[in-house]
Amino acid sequence: MYRLGIDLGSSYTKGVLVDENNQMIAFHCVKSGYNFKTAAKKIISHFAENYEIEYPVFTCGYGRDEIEEPYVSNSELSALSKSVYDIYNKACSIIDIGGQDTKFIQVNALGQVEKFKMNRKCAAGTGSFLEEIAFRLDITPEEFTKFAKEATEEVKINSFCTVFAVSEIIGLIKSGATLPNIIIGIYNSIVLRSFELSLFEDHLVITGGLPAMHPMIVSLFKNRYPDSDSPEHSQFLAAYGSVLLTSNNYQEGGINESS
Amino acid sequence: MSEHVPHDKSELVKLRSVNDLRTTMGQYFERLREATETGSRKIAWCTSVGPAELLYSMGFEVYFPENHGAMLGAGKNADKYIPTAVAHGYSPDICSYLTSDIGAFLQNETPLQKSGFKSIPRPDILVYNTNQCREVEDWFSFYARHFNVPIVGIQTPLCISDLNPEIIKSVSDQYHRIITELEKVAGRTFDIDRFREAVGLSHDGCVLWSQVLQKATHIPSPINFFDSAIHMGPIVVMRGTSHAVDYYKILLAELEERIENNISAVPEERFRIYWEGMPLWYKLSSMAKLFATLDTCIVASTYCNSWIFDDLDPSDPFESSALAYCKLFIVRSETVKEKVLVRLFKEFTIHGIIYHESKTCARNSNNRFGMQNRLIKQTGIPYLEINGDLNDPRCYSEEQSIIAIETFIDQLEGKKN
Repeated sequence: MYRLGIDLGSSYTKGVLVDENNQMIAFHCVKSGYNFKTAAKKIISHFAENYEIEYPVFTCGYGRDEIEEPYVSNSELSALSKSVYDIYNKACSIIDIGGQDTKFIQVNALGQVEKFKMNRKCAAGTGSFLEEIAFRLDITPEEFTKFAKEATEEVKINSFCTVFAVSEIIGLIKSGATLPNIIIGIYNSIVLRSFELSLFEDHLVITGGLPAMHPMIVSLFKNRYPDSDSPEHSQFLAAYGSVLLTSNNYQEGGINESS
Repeated sequence: MSEHVPHDKSELVKLRSVNDLRTTMGQYFERLREATETGSRKIAWCTSVGPAELLYSMGFEVYFPENHGAMLGAGKNADKYIPTAVAHGYSPDICSYLTSDIGAFLQNETPLQKSGFKSIPRPDILVYNTNQCREVEDWFSFYARHFNVPIVGIQTPLCISDLNPEIIKSVSDQYHRIITELEKVAGRTFDIDRFREAVGLSHDGCVLWSQVLQKATHIPSPINFFDSAIHMGPIVVMRGTSHAVDYYKILLAELEERIENNISAVPEERFRIYWEGMPLWYKLSSMAKLFATLDTCIVASTYCNSWIFDDLDPSDPFESSALAYCKLFIVRSETVKEKVLVRLFKEFTIHGIIYHESKTCARNSNNRFGMQNRLIKQTGIPYLEINGDLNDPRCYSEEQSIIAIETFIDQLEGKKN
């Protein structure tokens, strides 16, 4: 029997299977689309092919209550703090960049959330920002990384607004800026946006789908915070944390199941 | 962590006094409607912390556009009206009370039509005080131009640290100065005894309102912010009359009874929160349910505490009015505000603070100049910042905020254990 954590995010739904030693053993990710229930079913049926899943499953994210199978839900910030603390076992500052949100969480030496902050109601600096730009420029995430490596200098992107950022980029191309230099500018604008959330006083851990798919973002964080790092499978850590946070309580306390 | 499905904690027990509140507010609007239709009394418009006592003492019926703005917000209609005001040149970034009110007027719609009004009451004069913000002057000026009626106001200095005699004198002088215009419109002479009486009634109403709010110092609290935001109606619009005094005696008695019978606003109160900033009028009910589900009571707020003008003194009505309306939280310096907040956190046994940064109300958003960081250093009480707006729902991301609030309560839980 394996426990399953599902992070139903605004863009992607991430599932992670956890064994009896609290180790992550398998991962699966699907687009959330318009129906979280379908996305959760896809995750469950994917794992059910090869593993026996224990219920309830442990959810977090925007769609945490949009699931038909028995579940226990958590805030993804609490869940992410739990898994990051379990990995590092010390005070950490976490920056998580997802599809719509950029989150800062300060976890203290006892593993408690000391402080947290989310981006304002604006998707600049999140995955959606990059997705929109990639769509409008017709380039894939892989090409983003490839182009960024060819950059010779950074071109500054000033617009906060995703739509206006695209207009600005088109203007920059017209004025002769190269695509690699523009792309490193886009990456930098995302990183700078997250610096607004707080001062990072502890070991900086970068998580979420965006840095996982765009490793250049982690490199840019390292320019300013050389000790920062991004753990493996970082986009699955909230789902993992949801399992760690509540599965013990569930087994011990007999929490009511959902319908 | 939330489990599914537990018993429904969001079933809140309503205060019985809400029926008396409806009657009191209904009678207030009826007086306004009658004056509007028959012309039996002159109508003055007044800002919510303006010189209501003076106006009532001179026989005006008094209408408060901010109260109307809040009604538009609570009715979830503000976003229907704001675009009309924007199309008329009012920025979507300025006060959304203003834009929703002017927008509704331009569309000839008002929630008062449900109470038999044809339109909002036509003003005979508009009277403002800039103590709360400068935008009220522009708001009232729109109507002064439209109806071609006089507008008079009191200009109060901002960010007051030391309430020195010069400031009090300046404001008191302005009270005296507007009387000439008020007499002309009212068609009657100012009567100091009537003013003293109104100031006395305002003082008594404020003291009772303060006692109502103070009941929330009890653990568990018999009243929460979402109740208070509704029950503050009479102290806003009937300050200076016996109607407010009568109503708060009823409410106070019910809260005392609740305490005696151990009835709390949130059935299983575990966390006590301070709300800094404006309510999100369009989310009052869903937020009340959310916090109840999280065993959390918002026990105190800057907003509701702002209508305690207990310095009013009938023996010195001008100077004491000037003092009371300059002492208002919103018009004070950061240093003074911080002292007030620290005192309230202590009095109400606060576990956490929520700062609502209201997109269109800078003056009521106190997390814009680092206060939240200074206060956490001083008190150690954790805080959460929510981005939203008093009236414009387009400025609020509900899903994101719910996650933040749930995480904040998890954070407080972690600290408690």
